[in-house]
Amino acid sequence: MNTIVQFELSDILPRPEAVLQDQGVPGDRPVPDRIDAVFTQALDIFARSARPTGTISELTAEELTPIFRGEGENEADALLARIYHRADNLALFALTMGSEVSANIEKLFADNDFAAGSMLDSVASLAADKASEVFEARFFQDLSSRGLITPEHLVLGYSPGYCGWHISGQKKLFEYLEPDRIGISLNDSYLMTPLKSITGLLVSGRKEIHQCEPHFGYCSSCKHRSCQERLARLVS
Amino acid sequence: MSLLEQISTSLQQGEDKQVFELTNEAIAEGIPAKEILDNGLIAGMDIIGEQFRKHEIFLPEVLLAARAMYAGMDQLKPLFAKEGIPSIGKVVLGTVQGDLHDIGKNLVGIMLKGAGFDIIDLGKDVPPEEFVETAVREGAEVIGMSTLLTTTTPMMTQVIELLKEKGFDSTIKTIVGGAPVSEELARDIGADSYGYDAASAVDRVKELIG
Repeated sequence: MNTIVQFELSDILPRPEAVLQDQGVPGDRPVPDRIDAVFTQALDIFARSARPTGTISELTAEELTPIFRGEGENEADALLARIYHRADNLALFALTMGSEVSANIEKLFADNDFAAGSMLDSVASLAADKASEVFEARFFQDLSSRGLITPEHLVLGYSPGYCGWHISGQKKLFEYLEPDRIGISLNDSYLMTPLKSITGLLVSGRKEIHQCEPHFGYCSSCKHRSCQERLARLVS
Repeated sequence: MSLLEQISTSLQQGEDKQVFELTNEAIAEGIPAKEILDNGLIAGMDIIGEQFRKHEIFLPEVLLAARAMYAGMDQLKPLFAKEGIPSIGKVVLGTVQGDLHDIGKNLVGIMLKGAGFDIIDLGKDVPPEEFVETAVREGAEVIGMSTLLTTTTPMMTQVIELLKEKGFDSTIKTIVGGAPVSEELARDIGADSYGYDAASAVDRVKELIG
């Protein structure tokens, strides 16, 4: 069943340190007052303009196969290809921070308020990331309440465009999930509007199915390396 | 402290209102606009750029200073009305076709403008032909292309090939940047340079223009 979810702002607001780090401000230095003021301004605009909404739908591995195959452009050793068949439960999701946030970022830049525009961009990106973590946690809780989770289980999200799952996978994902119902559209280069949107697959399974060494061919060109943090959760 | 030094200092502190007022004061005192620009505004941005490279200040502070610079430049614009703001080079910038991410490109434009370049920002989702036609028409020395997506990096190649096809590859240089772009990729697709971040893009464009 395809469910629509409104996120609580308090659940997705990023930590100030994370935002400042995204802006290149190291955590070990005192934050100058003027940067702090810009952060407060950006957070306030985000709180007023964000409409964080998501949609999620459970599906089987069989249903996922053609979606994951997408346009046939995945890497031969795509990580998810070795994972999803071993998963116990799967769900596709899409979420967005809404179009008003993106409009505000553009307006701030147009008004030469570059620092606030850039800070708001960081706040919105990190809030979207946090919303995907909320989806992971909710899926875990939902499965748990249905007795489908053991202490050995872990839910992790995987997105088109990462770890060998080609970005063109967005096309079939959109056809299945229909995120346009929450205001997300896809262009010809598989880019979402509003920009601060995320799609992906939630994979619930025993921790070891997520285990991998990030030494795939595509890892060398990856600048995100967020898998390192995710892998750390496997041993926690 | 001279008036121009005060402009530079206020700009470094990101005090846009002060820069606005001090620039007007300098104009009223009859200081030539070019001198206010070079020894007040650009001098301040040069210091900001240097501090940023040394990690003494960070992106938000650079952007606050840039806002202050724009506040001053806006006052000078009417004085340069005929010939436009003097620049050390003209750069056509844009996010390539198929990509709507423009934060990185905007930051590069802000930094280049702060360093004294004339920027023609074509925005996002820019077709290859538009990059080339604009650069030729405007007499730009450099085309700067940005993308956040791996799927749209071929658009950069198309611009470079179009320049070659039309015989402008020796007069119009190219610089590329963005999350999926690396020095290696830039070399592979035949770009003249690669900007790792906004600050390095300024240095590289200066090198390209010589």
